[in-house]
Amino acid sequence: MSLIDPENTIPEARSPFSEAWEMFRGNTAAMIALVILCLIVLGAIFGPYLYPTDPFDMVWAPFSPPGADGFILGTDYLGRDLLAALIHGARVSIIIGLAAAAVSILIGVTVGALAGFYKGWVEELLMRITEFFQVLPTLLFSMVIVALFGASLPMITFAIGVVSWTAVARITRSEFLRIRELEYVMASRASGATNAKLMFRVILPNALPPIIVQAALMVGSAILFEAGLSFLGLTDPNVVSWGQVIGSNRQYILDASYTVTIPGLAIFITVLCISLVGDGLNDALNPKLRSR
Amino acid sequence: MKAETLLKVENMTVRFAVKRGRGFGKNAHLHAVDDVSFTVKCGETLAIVGESGSGKTTTALAVARLVNSYKGKVLLGDTDLLALGDEDLRQARARVQFIFQDPYSSLNPRLRASDIVREPMDSLGDMSEAEKSERVDFLFNAVGLRPEQQRLFPHQFSGGQRQRIGIARALATQPELIICDEPVSALDVAVQAQILNLLRKLQKDFGLTYLFISHDLGVVQHMCDSIAVMYMGKIVEHGSRLDIFNAPQHPYTRALLSAVPSVDKARRAQTKRILIPGDPPDPVNLPAGCRFANRCPVVQDICRRDEPELRNGVACHFPNAEL
Amino acid sequence: MALLSVKNLRIEIKTRAGVAPVIDDLSFDLDAGESLSFVGESGCGKSMTALALMGLLPEGVGSVASGSITFDGEDLTQASEARLRALRGNDISMIFQEPMTSLNPLYTVGEQIAEVLRAHQGLSRKQAWDQAVELLDAVRIPNARARAEDYPFQMSGGQRQRVMIAIALACQPKILIADEPTTALDVTVQAQIFDLLQDMRRQTGSAIILITHDMGAVAEMAERMIVMYAGRKAELGPVDTIIAHPRHPYTAGLISCVPHILSTLTSEREDLVEVPGIVPALQDFGKDLCLFASRCRHAQPKCVNQRPPEIAFGNTHQAACWRAEEL
Repeated sequence: MSLIDPENTIPEARSPFSEAWEMFRGNTAAMIALVILCLIVLGAIFGPYLYPTDPFDMVWAPFSPPGADGFILGTDYLGRDLLAALIHGARVSIIIGLAAAAVSILIGVTVGALAGFYKGWVEELLMRITEFFQVLPTLLFSMVIVALFGASLPMITFAIGVVSWTAVARITRSEFLRIRELEYVMASRASGATNAKLMFRVILPNALPPIIVQAALMVGSAILFEAGLSFLGLTDPNVVSWGQVIGSNRQYILDASYTVTIPGLAIFITVLCISLVGDGLNDALNPKLRSR
Repeated sequence: MKAETLLKVENMTVRFAVKRGRGFGKNAHLHAVDDVSFTVKCGETLAIVGESGSGKTTTALAVARLVNSYKGKVLLGDTDLLALGDEDLRQARARVQFIFQDPYSSLNPRLRASDIVREPMDSLGDMSEAEKSERVDFLFNAVGLRPEQQRLFPHQFSGGQRQRIGIARALATQPELIICDEPVSALDVAVQAQILNLLRKLQKDFGLTYLFISHDLGVVQHMCDSIAVMYMGKIVEHGSRLDIFNAPQHPYTRALLSAVPSVDKARRAQTKRILIPGDPPDPVNLPAGCRFANRCPVVQDICRRDEPELRNGVACHFPNAEL
Repeated sequence: MALLSVKNLRIEIKTRAGVAPVIDDLSFDLDAGESLSFVGESGCGKSMTALALMGLLPEGVGSVASGSITFDGEDLTQASEARLRALRGNDISMIFQEPMTSLNPLYTVGEQIAEVLRAHQGLSRKQAWDQAVELLDAVRIPNARARAEDYPFQMSGGQRQRVMIAIALACQPKILIADEPTTALDVTVQAQIFDLLQDMRRQTGSAIILITHDMGAVAEMAERMIVMYAGRKAELGPVDTIIAHPRHPYTAGLISCVPHILSTLTSEREDLVEVPGIVPALQDFGKDLCLFASRCRHAQPKCVNQRPPEIAFGNTHQAACWRAEEL
């Protein structure tokens, strides 16, 4: 029996992130979602090499149902292989999702950080701009951008990013406003830190958790957004994506419903998994839920 | 004992703009610190005492230029801190360091303890990496932490240990003045004693000068050499430790002292509790005359008319009046 | 017979590491009109005791494992939730540390006091309001009739705590539990609140249980005190006796580690007597040893082998320390 002294038992050094990972691992739903997500991403990266059929080739008779004639997911109205479309389309959908999220995080964090750090007229100006973007009808606005500047992948990505950064800006700003008043920020200032260091090395890392969660959810919504635009035909016809498959088959939804439901299911599963992972991240990164 | 003056604050005023009412009404100003002057001698401790809203913390922040002053001078040696430009100020920060009240929010949760202590040396000064590590080792030892604990993150420490890290950080640049803003009020009583003893030991070992902000008169009595009592942004009494505690002159100081509960039976028997009813006046809309007038037990007409100056260490028209 | 009698109370809470006794074998009596104080550092079980008396232990987390709380001949640990609700605010009431958050911001303070009176005493709306105004006057809020129409945010911290006291005393409870009632307040306001509590106690005859970490407050406010450490009773006895001669080293530490203002101050300043270390972690609470041993200057091998019994000094004073008789 030894003396009890909680101050002098040296625990192993564990960063807040490793604790968050521990927490995340305990969340079964989020872990399953993460595994599925990894499989989808791996499929998107390596699938086209393992299943090289060109999704634009007419390989068989149209409307061949799934499983028949050797095509696992069947063929669409032009006799193109749906499985090939799904595998090749995953790349585009996921890349657009990631890139659009990256664009909106970049704009949103910059605007939010400047507004929250400098306050005063900088904040007033930036928040008015944010509000302007917030009240625009997002789908309509992005349609206008794509219609004006052409339906290329970078332009679609940009359009989605531009309409969805406002939430990130608001979260970043409120986190900055909160954290800049904490004493450790004051301590860094008192020990001679420059504004740039305060903003990016002190405050931003501590503001990241809710931004990370928002980013994860944003990937999901960007995929949905892209699907929405494709469905309306506002997409690059030379590139196959899940939304584009749905869009091009939408007239046959009653005759050959599988041509629409299968890519729809792919979107549904991917976005659901992203949401679950985002949820898990939220629980793991949110210090209020930590038992301590 | 004659020590030379390290810090001389002259007529410092800090004010904040406050919006009153709606729309484009005229902005009013809240004078959180109003025309305050005091000095701190080398190697000594000056305590600024007051209740919430007295402006004591704002005074501390303004001296360190963590809050902007509206006017006045803060002379550290020969340098007026308030007159420095951005880069000069940044360099001057090495000379004034701060110990914060809340050990839970004053340490960056994403940094290891050693990096927290090292941060001021990274931002200021030109030590080599080896020298910095050596100094971190030295500081950890000086504040009573073990070398193995350098790798840990703040949440893995107890409150008292976190405050030790904060103290080590404040010592890193070998500052001339250390401002302690309620350094123990967030800690448990037993831990308070540990930190207070540490602060006194460090002062003795390194010849530190403290500006000590506190609302706890017991702690102040133990830590300081002289005391400034603040009420509503003004210093109402300023004197040596023994003068203030054994012969307080201002009615507010006397009420404050009489309000502290004591375990000493003799003191309880001999102090008459002076209750000061009511609340302090609205800080944005101060009445004319003495700010303490509406709660003062010995108020006279002149107190509501003329604001008393700080003379012979007390700002009162009727010091030592019978209470 | 004592008004309140707690016998061998054990409260367990669930943590990630398992079940830990936050209150371990606590017994004490409280007489009608008496003033008793609980002292100790945070995490020693003071507030938990108060919540247990109120039947307000956090559901699903903490529960009474064994022992009894007898109030007026009735065991509260066996009482139904409905019965406890009837007792709370009526026979036993409580004021909390934080006067900023314990009032509902959406109702005027008068309404909040009247609400309690209507619920427990079945007064009419008009009667309740009149009595609420009287209570506000009794807790020395100037111009009570007008201030009853104020919302909590219009009042200062001290005034809000007075309103809390008015609510707590509305039904003239037999016991008033005050959990660190002045910690968030300035010292001059604290003096007013203490003064008020003493007066109210004299007028209504309520017993007061004051929970605090401030020995000075105990000395001013209480007749008897219980020093709690890590969920256990370290020492119990009359305040004056204990302050003059603490038998438990933890009590002695709590008294001497605080810099007190003495009747005459000299230029001499000794270092404070430190109690090194901190309160043990919750998972160590139940162990069969003296939990204070790791911080104790007087610790002996015996202290880490077995939990010390309560040694009595006369009828009223007990200390749970192996060496209490020598110290």
